[in-house]
Amino acid sequence: MYARRAAQLLQELSSCEEGQLPPYNGDKFDQVIRECEEHSRQFQSLIRDKDIETKNEDHYGSFIHHLSIIRNKRCLMAYMYKRAEVIQSYRWNVGRVLPREIQDKLNFSEQEYFKDYCGVIDSYMKDLDLDLTVDMVPPKDPYIRVRVLSEIGEVSLGDHAVSLTKDSFHFLRRTDAEPFISQGLMEEFVE
Amino acid sequence: MEWWEDEGLGLKKTDVEAMREAWRREKAAPEMLEFEEELVRRLREQMQLQEDTIMAMEGDGDGDDISTTSLQLQHMDLDRALFLLKSYLRLRLTKLQKHLFFYASLPHSSSPLSPQELLFCHRCLHATSRHLHHSLLSLLPSHYQSLSRQSTSSDHDDMLHSHSPHLDTFVFCKPTTDVGAFQLDDTGDDIVDLVVDDLYVLRYNSIRALVQSRRIHLI
Repeated sequence: MYARRAAQLLQELSSCEEGQLPPYNGDKFDQVIRECEEHSRQFQSLIRDKDIETKNEDHYGSFIHHLSIIRNKRCLMAYMYKRAEVIQSYRWNVGRVLPREIQDKLNFSEQEYFKDYCGVIDSYMKDLDLDLTVDMVPPKDPYIRVRVLSEIGEVSLGDHAVSLTKDSFHFLRRTDAEPFISQGLMEEFVE
Repeated sequence: MEWWEDEGLGLKKTDVEAMREAWRREKAAPEMLEFEEELVRRLREQMQLQEDTIMAMEGDGDGDDISTTSLQLQHMDLDRALFLLKSYLRLRLTKLQKHLFFYASLPHSSSPLSPQELLFCHRCLHATSRHLHHSLLSLLPSHYQSLSRQSTSSDHDDMLHSHSPHLDTFVFCKPTTDVGAFQLDDTGDDIVDLVVDDLYVLRYNSIRALVQSRRIHLI
C-alpha cells in the first residue's frame, strides 16, 4: 500500500505523549521523499508522448502515482506541522533556551524555527509591553517565600537590590520570582 | 464596593468585570472575537495608575497594619487584573496560531485581530512557511511544492481545510434578555425558545450573531 512509510512516521508521532516529540526520523523522512521522486518518474514515463484525452490503463496508472504523491505529501506535512506546533509550545512551557535532550530531537530547520518563533513572540510582547510568559497561573499571594537553589548573585528588583545567594531565603513579589523559578534556580518555600 | 475602593484606591470594578466577561467569551468561543481595544486600553491605564499609587504608598512606609493590609489588597487586585488581561491575550494567541492561515488571509475589514496580533500573524506565518518550505516542500517533486495546494492541478487551497475554526462546536450559553423563538438553522425546522438566564447548549454558529450583540452570554 502506498504511503505506508509516511503513515508509520505519523504513528511514531501520535504514540508520543502530548507536548512531547520523538526524535526527528530523518531516515524514514528521506525514504518517503525518495518514494515521491519515484512516483514522479513513473508518472512522467506514463504520460510521455501520450494523448491526454485517452483514458487507457496508463492514464489511470499515472493518476495513482499522482494520488500517492499527494497522500505522502499530506502525511509529511502533518508530521512537520504537528512537530512545529509542539516546538511552539516549548517557548511557553520550557522557555527561550531548550535543554540538550530536546534540542537533539529537532532537525536543523526545526531548531532555526524555534529561534524564529521566539523572535516573533518577543516582538509581539515588546509591541504590547507585556510579558505574557509569566502570570500563567491565577495569582494567590502577591508575595511568596522563596529559597534560592543555585547562586544567582546581586539582582535589582524594583527599586532595591537583593543578594540571591545559594540557600538563602527571601520574601519576594511573585512576578519577580517567577522567571527564576521556571528556570529551576529558585523554589517556592511552602511551610 | 470594597472599602478601599471608597478611597478611590482600587481598580474600577465595572472595567474588571467587563474584562472578565470578555475573557469568558473568548475562552468559550471557537473563533477569535472582536478585539476589545477600548477596554484593554482603559484597563491598562488604570492598572498603571494603581501601580504608581502602590509604589508611592510603599515609599511612604507607614508600616502600620492597616497600610500594609491595604497595600497587599491593592497588590492582589492588580495581580488579578493583570492575570485576566494576559490570559485574555494568550487565549487569543492560541486560537490565532491554531488557525494561522485562516486569519492571515481574512480581509482587513472583517478581521478581529488587533494591530499587534496582525503583525504577529504575518511574522509567524512567514517563519512557519519558511520552515515548511525549507525542510519539506522544496524536496518534493515540482508541481507539488505549494503550501496551500496539494498540487498545481488543484483549483483551491485544499491543503488548508483544517485551518478554519470549527464554528459548529457546541457551547454553553445563557441569554441576557428574553430572545424568544429563535431559529437555529436555515431550514426553519429547528426553533428554540430562548428565555433569559436559562442554560442552553447550542452550536456556536447558530447563536453567533446573538453573541456579537451581547444578547447571549457564553459560559
